[in-house]
Amino acid sequence: MSEKLSGAEILCRGLVDAGVEVIFGYPGGAIMPFYHALPEHPRLRHILVRHEQAAAHAADGYARASGRVGVCVATSGPGATNLVTGLAAAHMDSSPVVAITGQVSRPMMGRDAFQETDIIGITMPITKHSYLVQDAAELADVVAEAMTVAAEGRPGPVLVDVPKDVQNQKVEWHGTPAPRTGTRGRALGSIEDGVRAAARLIKGAERPLLMVGHGAILAGAYAEVRALAEKTGIPVITTLLGISAFPDGHPLHLGMPGMHGEVHVNRAIQNADVIIGIGLRFDDRVTGNTASFARQARIVHIDLDRAEIGKNVPAAVGIVGDARDVTRRLLAAVEPRRCDRWLEHIRSFARPGPASYRGELSPEAILASICDASGGACTIVSDVGQHQMWVAKLFPYRHPNTHITSGGLGAMGFAVPAAMGVHLARPGDTVWAISGDGGFQMNMAEIATMVQERLPVKLAVFNNGYLGMVRQWQQFFHEKRYSCTPIWSPDYVKLAEAYGIPGYRVKDAAELADTVGRANAQPGPALVEFVIEQEANVFPMIPPGGSLSEPIESAPVVGAAGD
Amino acid sequence: MHTVAVLLDDGLATLNRAVGVLRRRNVPVEGLALHPSGTAGVSRMTFVLKADAVTAERVAQQFQKMIGVRSVMVLGGEDSTTEARR
Repeated sequence: MSEKLSGAEILCRGLVDAGVEVIFGYPGGAIMPFYHALPEHPRLRHILVRHEQAAAHAADGYARASGRVGVCVATSGPGATNLVTGLAAAHMDSSPVVAITGQVSRPMMGRDAFQETDIIGITMPITKHSYLVQDAAELADVVAEAMTVAAEGRPGPVLVDVPKDVQNQKVEWHGTPAPRTGTRGRALGSIEDGVRAAARLIKGAERPLLMVGHGAILAGAYAEVRALAEKTGIPVITTLLGISAFPDGHPLHLGMPGMHGEVHVNRAIQNADVIIGIGLRFDDRVTGNTASFARQARIVHIDLDRAEIGKNVPAAVGIVGDARDVTRRLLAAVEPRRCDRWLEHIRSFARPGPASYRGELSPEAILASICDASGGACTIVSDVGQHQMWVAKLFPYRHPNTHITSGGLGAMGFAVPAAMGVHLARPGDTVWAISGDGGFQMNMAEIATMVQERLPVKLAVFNNGYLGMVRQWQQFFHEKRYSCTPIWSPDYVKLAEAYGIPGYRVKDAAELADTVGRANAQPGPALVEFVIEQEANVFPMIPPGGSLSEPIESAPVVGAAGD
Repeated sequence: MHTVAVLLDDGLATLNRAVGVLRRRNVPVEGLALHPSGTAGVSRMTFVLKADAVTAERVAQQFQKMIGVRSVMVLGGEDSTTEARR
């Protein structure tokens, strides 16, 4: 059975058949045939964003929270280029996103037509793969393949560029092809050897550590990682993107490593003799100077992407495989043991948090109030900067995959749109988007999207009147010259009012519980501004390129001339 | 000097992407050749890299991840270019 359908219709049917339920997008000239076909497919809920960057971040947030492919749509030219930051964020953090872009009609391509850009060329280094569809007859296959490529193996963004005349082209349609699976499957023969070698290393280790990254979350390896830690007594470190892969408050959980990691966590790394890395890429924010990183440790590196093994740090044992599968096998291969003395030794490195965290309207107090108001069961989406580190370090994550942030790209403006996607992936959960005053102002137009599309995201703005992390670097490394970092904000309460949502300002810790509780209980979106200490810093800090052994634990004294 | 020989689909986007891998990873290229492979729709790209064996292997692994790449060979030494063309 076949019928004649337009490319746009085939595109919509392909998305429906792939199980897509929500798409984030913005119409425009070259994608109009798609938008013309869209109302025929009520299963595809379209979220009209206010800027295409938000569509990409929201699709990314949806993908991270649901484990399914997030889809965004934009027109050619500026619509497509506005997706770039969001695609780069998804690429760096291995998030499965499919971006569909309109393109000028085939006869116009290459002639610098109105709203023509080479989006395939522009996005080549930040996509896992991309397709320029030159014939509507290919569309059904391309959509099915794009969805598979985005999700399989190490996930990532895929771009499908569809010229307008291809969207209008009518071709015979024979149904959506069966989903392709395992197209890029790898021979996993060496996993067993790797697991045996890793188990031997663990058996002989005196100071072993588990370092758990985003791969553990992508693979859903929570139970396996926890069982491995509990069977062996090995302390667990979670990277920024690995946070919530292992429960905070567990006696074996140490915290986050790296540039803003706790002193005892980094010292544990520097003293470890074996490190088992599960689904992480030993990013420079984690390792500091690689030459001085974990000098005593033999590293077991488990990653789905072969190219990650040995890329940043040398691996004594590299195991290419799914984090859940490999951890399960490792769990079966290791003998029960304990590491009590080592754990005690690590605990002796611990320092109390800096005084600024414990003050009145401190980050710790604010995050505790959000935790209390939501019964500890919300998903936190953070932006980028100082608050991101506070949110990573100070909020107690007890449930898997409840911390979502732009780690690798570090894209300010991520939290507000990504939280919309997180809400749609988990409509029953409370979602808090926490931003600084800088990042919030980048994408605050999305409040309108939340209102129009009824997305009850709770918005928190940590307002210190500065681009705080850059200001901190200026204080530490640039003679306290606060060049272009003071940032003015609008009246956020009035802003909320203008958008028709409740807005609150908290200046005093005494108001915290009541105000945050009221915002949390709102049926729709709500905004809370927290007026925090202007020059609070994130401690400890490893200077960029520095060694994990040499943290800065208090603000350097600046000479009189610099003051 | 190391040579990486890649068999890949002959579409322009695939060829562009392959060259992009080297640019993206900042690996200096000494020589670059594109030949038909003998199989319809498949080309052979040969890159002579000013790079050590570890870097060449790293590049090969990046190529291996690319969709459209059929196979990757890393060759070293003087006769590597001839070797790759065989």
